[in-house]
Parts: sequence; structure tokens; C-alpha cells
Amino acid sequence: MDKKILHVDYSLCIGCETCQSVCDFLHNGKPNIRIYYTISGLPVPINCRHCERAPCLEICPVGAISKDEDGAVIIDPNKCIGCLMCLAVCPFGVPSFDAKIKVVTKCDMCADRRREGMNPACGEMCPAEAIFFGMPEEVEDRIRARIAEKIARERTSYVHVKDVSRI
Amino acid sequence: MRGMRFAFFCREKPAPTGKRIAIVGAGPAGLSAAGYLVCQGHEVHIYDKLPEPGGLMLFGIPEFRIPVYRVREGYKELESAFEVKFFLRAKVICGAEKNEAGDEFVERTTSLRELAENYDAVLIATGAWESWLPNIEGADLDGVFPALEYLFRIKSAKLGHMDWKDIISPEGKKVIVIGAGHTAVDAALESLLLGAEKVYMSYRRTIKEAPAGAYEINLLKQRGVQWLELTMPVRIIGEGGKVRGIELVRTKLGEPDESGRRKPVPVEGSNFVLDVDYVIFAIGQTPTPPSGKDLNIAVDRKGRIVVDDRHMTSVEGIFAAGDVVTGPSKVGQAVRDGLYAARSMHVWLMGGE
Repeated sequence: MDKKILHVDYSLCIGCETCQSVCDFLHNGKPNIRIYYTISGLPVPINCRHCERAPCLEICPVGAISKDEDGAVIIDPNKCIGCLMCLAVCPFGVPSFDAKIKVVTKCDMCADRRREGMNPACGEMCPAEAIFFGMPEEVEDRIRARIAEKIARERTSYVHVKDVSRI
Repeated sequence: MRGMRFAFFCREKPAPTGKRIAIVGAGPAGLSAAGYLVCQGHEVHIYDKLPEPGGLMLFGIPEFRIPVYRVREGYKELESAFEVKFFLRAKVICGAEKNEAGDEFVERTTSLRELAENYDAVLIATGAWESWLPNIEGADLDGVFPALEYLFRIKSAKLGHMDWKDIISPEGKKVIVIGAGHTAVDAALESLLLGAEKVYMSYRRTIKEAPAGAYEINLLKQRGVQWLELTMPVRIIGEGGKVRGIELVRTKLGEPDESGRRKPVPVEGSNFVLDVDYVIFAIGQTPTPPSGKDLNIAVDRKGRIVVDDRHMTSVEGIFAAGDVVTGPSKVGQAVRDGLYAARSMHVWLMGGE
């Protein structure tokens, strides 16, 4: 199994809510990634982190939670009994009880899309490139490159901006 | 590929349906709609008044929030892999010409009626480019700008579409930004980054009510912006036609108004004057549908295009989405509106319900 990661970088997120919109559209109005606004006014996207040692997977009493070939943590709706133990132990409060189908649902890293060779939609559309999907080393490399840009910006003082900052 | 994948519904262009769609406005709503529609096999042409697609993602929001390559590579993929055709520097009007922010680059106009006749469906996603300016003494002085125009010029220069000498340069100037939304924050931040001597921010409520959120305001304060909450402009003071200062009055919060927020009330006799060179108003924008009444597209009293639950306007076959329908919002809300409108258009075009 080649583990892939779906990483949301909170320092790059601009709170534009595009991820939530795209996920909403794909899941009929019930997005699996949502922006929450803290008391200080900071927008924070909350979504499944697809943990390596996932507490939800370990605690599920009926073994409804498993990992697929990309490392995505998946809930089997046919096995789920809706006990919400997964929600109780999730450090991010991710699992969500679907009142219609009476089971717990959550982000499956766009399983249908991955089967067709496409990537999770939130990452595809994030305007800020704050959501990354891929092999861990690729993602980490990309994140560092973004951080380098940020450091460069801090060092580019206004005096030079006209000469060097054309983009 | 590091661009936004607007056509995220499919890997490649599917078999054509033979339907042709015109989208007016290449911002987040228009481009997202285009992405959905090309994945359904429709031919999409996009008209935009700017020299490059992207709308405010490219020409309004600073590049340290939305990287330029995200938008550029994104629309280029639509162009190369999905054969979306862009008609740029082309402003679509509806019978009457009207000047709006961002018109500097327009080279030709196209009529909405013509588009409606030549395409199977049309989507209006023209956004909200008209800025509010208050009706106070001195608002017409040289040195008073809407924040959108201020940011638009700076970004146009950064993108290489405008000469740096044509921007409104804050270098060495004292600048006051009125408002506390995201546009106000960006205008204050760009002023700092481009070397303003002093940046003030005036807001008639408190940091707790600031639409951009306390976090963003606190960041600005940390970077040296002088935050003047509970103040509002009374008049702008000029000298030889140019801004020299601004008179503000302190406010206190009274009873809640229709928006549910406590209404700022001026405190009599608390006026004070600041020396400033630029006054930048970021107090809101209004929708800018194609101007004129050639087609009878209904708008509400706030200027927003009225649509039904299919996102269709009062004219059959013409749809609308994004800020021009919702009023100024966020990129994500425009994307969402664009996607849902596109799905309705697809259903309508294919004759389903």
C-alpha cells in the first residue's frame, strides 16, 4: 500500500470556503470539510485527517472502519451501527451521524474520484493551495516550497518591490 | 499541474453534446461553472472585460493569499485541455454603456442580446465591481479612492498589465482606509507593503464586529496599522483639489439595526482631524450585471439579479450566479453558486427536470 495523505495547511488557508463549497456540491449539500470561525475570527477548516493510527478505526466495536489502498480511513455504511464511538474518540470531531441513512459518514478522500484516477476535489480547487494530496514526501516538499515563498516575501521590502516582485 | 482544477469532474474532455454556452465573467463563479459544463460535454465560451481570466482572484485579492499560478494554470488548463475559448478585454453590455471599476482594459463591447441569440444558454457571472462611496463633503477630491480600484491597479501592475507609474502609489504617503472587511484589510496591508508612511484604519463599530474578523485586524495592528475603531468620516479636507486631511467623529453603539448589529451613533462634539494624503473607502460593493435594459433582466433593490431556484433570470435561457446574484461574498460562495447554476443549466439544456 502506498499511503497518500490529504493535508490541510492551516497557515496557508485564507478561509475562502471553496473546499467546503466543492465538497457540498459533490455530497448533495452535506460537506465533509467545513470552515469554523474561532472567537478570535480565525477561519479553521475541519476535516478528516485520515490518521495513521486512527482512534476511530481502533475503537469501532463492529469493525466498520478500515483503510483503503491509498490509506484513506473509510466507514462501511453496511456495518456501522451508529453508536458514535468514533466521534467520541476523534481528536477532530469529524464523524457525522447521517439522520437519513442512520449511519455515521465522513470524508472518504473522494473514494469514487480516486477510483477514476482523480484526486480529492477540495485539494483540486483550493485557490490558496492550502490542501495537498499525494505521497507524503511529495506533499512535504511542496509545503516547504510554499513556506520558502512566504519567507522570501517577508524579506522583500517595499523598496525593492517594483524591481523584483513582478509575478 | 499546480493550478486550480476547475474541470475537476472529469479527467478529460468528454464527447461533445453540440450545445454551446456563453459565460459572462471569468471569476470564480464563471470558471467553476465552465469546469462543470465542459465535463458534461458542452462547448463553453467565456467573455471578460479584463486582459486575463480570474476575476478578483487575480485582480483583487493579493497574491500572498491566492498565488497567481493557481489561477493562471487553472484557466490555462480549461483552455488547452477542455477547449474553453476566452474572449478577453470584451465587456458585455445590455444596451447601455456604463463605466465601472476594471474597465481600463476594455477594447470592445458585445451585447448580451447577441450572446443570447448565438448560444444555447448564457450565464451571467459578472460580480460586484461598483464600489460604495459615501455622500460626504470632499468625497470627490483627488486622493479619494474606492479600495477595489486601489487594489485592482496594484495587482494589474504586479501582473504586468499596467505600468507601475499608473498605480496609486502609497509610497511615503499617509493613508486612511475606511471599513473593516476583507477588502479593507487587503488595502491596508498593501499600503504597508508598498511603503506608506502611515496607515490608519477607521471602522464605525468595534473590532468584535469587524467583518474581516478580529484576527486579521490584530495582525494589521501588530504590523503598525493604527486601528481607529468607533470612528466614522464626517468630511474630507482638501487643498488645491487634493486630499489634505480627514475629519472623523467618534461613535458609540446604540440599538441593533435591521442587520441585527448595534447601530453606530455619532458622539456630538467628538470630532477630530487627521492629516492624510489618501482616503480609501472599503465600505462595500454592489453587483454589476451587464448594463442597460435591452433585455428585461430583473434585479432587486440592491441591484442583485433575481434568479429562480434553477438559477435562471427573468429571461428564459439566461442564468446568473456568483456575487452578481448574492451580493459581495467569498470566493467559495461564488464557486458554490457557479457549480449549482451550471448543473441547472445542464439539466435545462438536456431537457430534464
